[in-house]
Amino acid sequence: MSVEPALMSLTSVAQAIAQKHFSSREATQSCLARIAQWQPRLNAFMAIEADQALAAADAADAAISKGTASGALHGVPLAHKDMYYDAGRVVSCGSKIRRDFVATTTSTALRRLKQAGTIRLGSLQMAEFAYGPTGHNSHYGPVHNPWNVDHITGGSSSGSGAAVAARLTFAALGSDTGGSIRMPAHFCGVTGLKTTYGRISRAGAMPLSQSLDTVGPLARSAEDCALLLGLMAGADPQDPTAIGGPVPDYAAATRESIAGLSIGVPAAFYVDDLDPEVGRILDETIAVLKREGANVVEVELPDQRQLTAACQLVLAVEAAAFHRRWLIERPQDYGPQVLMRLQNGLAIPGVTYLEAMRWRGPALAAHNAAVAKVDAMIAPAAPVAAPTIAESDVGNSPEAESVIQRLTRFTRPINYLGLPSLSIPAGFTRSGLPVGMQLIGRSFDEAMLLRIGAAFQRVTDFHDRVPNPA
Amino acid sequence: MTRPTPKEIKAMADVAGVPVSTEVAARVANSIGPAFEGFAAVAGTLPFDLEPASFVLVQAAGDPT
Repeated sequence: MSVEPALMSLTSVAQAIAQKHFSSREATQSCLARIAQWQPRLNAFMAIEADQALAAADAADAAISKGTASGALHGVPLAHKDMYYDAGRVVSCGSKIRRDFVATTTSTALRRLKQAGTIRLGSLQMAEFAYGPTGHNSHYGPVHNPWNVDHITGGSSSGSGAAVAARLTFAALGSDTGGSIRMPAHFCGVTGLKTTYGRISRAGAMPLSQSLDTVGPLARSAEDCALLLGLMAGADPQDPTAIGGPVPDYAAATRESIAGLSIGVPAAFYVDDLDPEVGRILDETIAVLKREGANVVEVELPDQRQLTAACQLVLAVEAAAFHRRWLIERPQDYGPQVLMRLQNGLAIPGVTYLEAMRWRGPALAAHNAAVAKVDAMIAPAAPVAAPTIAESDVGNSPEAESVIQRLTRFTRPINYLGLPSLSIPAGFTRSGLPVGMQLIGRSFDEAMLLRIGAAFQRVTDFHDRVPNPA
Repeated sequence: MTRPTPKEIKAMADVAGVPVSTEVAARVANSIGPAFEGFAAVAGTLPFDLEPASFVLVQAAGDPT
């Protein structure tokens, strides 16, 4: 082995195992060695299942020897956000309440990845019940950013962001209800795909807000996200919101040029009050896209503040409804911030909630009209790079909600509209923290985002940079 | 549309079977108030026949596949 397997991309490692350049055991050992090195610094894993992973790797290698291997990811070790039900396994959802919850079913997304041949390394940390954008968790401690462990990872897919960035897993499932894939992708310097609402089945994924929840991957490149999306997308009888029809060839899309495409830059909101370094990186990203032949034009969007408000109303009510029984029976078992945010949902009248739901169609139609002449948009994923753990540890203080809303103000409108968005590493601050840009597409047009993201990554190396353990 | 007051929030929480203290009600009012204000321009303006499922129709109309 001349190359450390754990440093390879998902696509490359899957091919290397299939072609017997190295074994599934060697790939798994490589990940486990990095996990042992990084876990004490990052707190990225909820559970590490080394012995089981190695046994599964040996079985995968045996299947290859017998010629019975099947699946595009045969023998590839992965770990996922600890909210995907896996029958017979504890799925904590980052909570005290579900600390001992053993799933009796397996989520559709996870099952499809298993059918492709993946093996399980363990489970990844997350914000309690996926309700927090920072990576803090009052029960299990914060996850630390591999680029600077004094800084947050973003959440709620905090362990997924940190583990992919530090090359502890080749990719990881996250979930995105208000920015929970794109925030950690941005803060940790990895590629994260928030899929269109309905693109991937939510069955067996812990719910937070049934109207906003989406399943998606965090990985090292757009190419890797395309591979994973192609395996997971499609209709599912267990989730009536998962759309049918043919699944596009996402991998093929990543090989296409972006010459002649039209990419919109919002004239306002997403470019307002940016940290200067985020603004600089946005400009540099636009320059790269132009060099690759894209036409970058300004677009005037409808009032995004109304979308963020509507998203907050829908999310707060639906989360409170899911949690109502535990709010009555076990309020003391929530962390202070999550309890506070769940209580917010009690204060919203049913009429207001339904108005926010009724407005989704017209709001999406207005957005579609505004972007009709572009193939996709580009905008920062967040206005700042990763804050420190100390400065973002606001708990349930009076300013907590405003801190949360500021961090997620560029992601929530997209959740409300149900649109796909790909966060790609686009640069670094002078202090060495990554910054991501989100590509925002039309409903169900993930292929366009993956095409643009892959084109950007062919001529930049931000996604290939690996943090060093101090 | 105005943001709910702590007193109103306390009453709503009681009705929901999840009573909150006066202090928590004040914190909730502070947290959720901006969402009410942000949505105020939309609230009360939607046409009679509009229902939430219109979102799915608009979404499907934009599906490139």
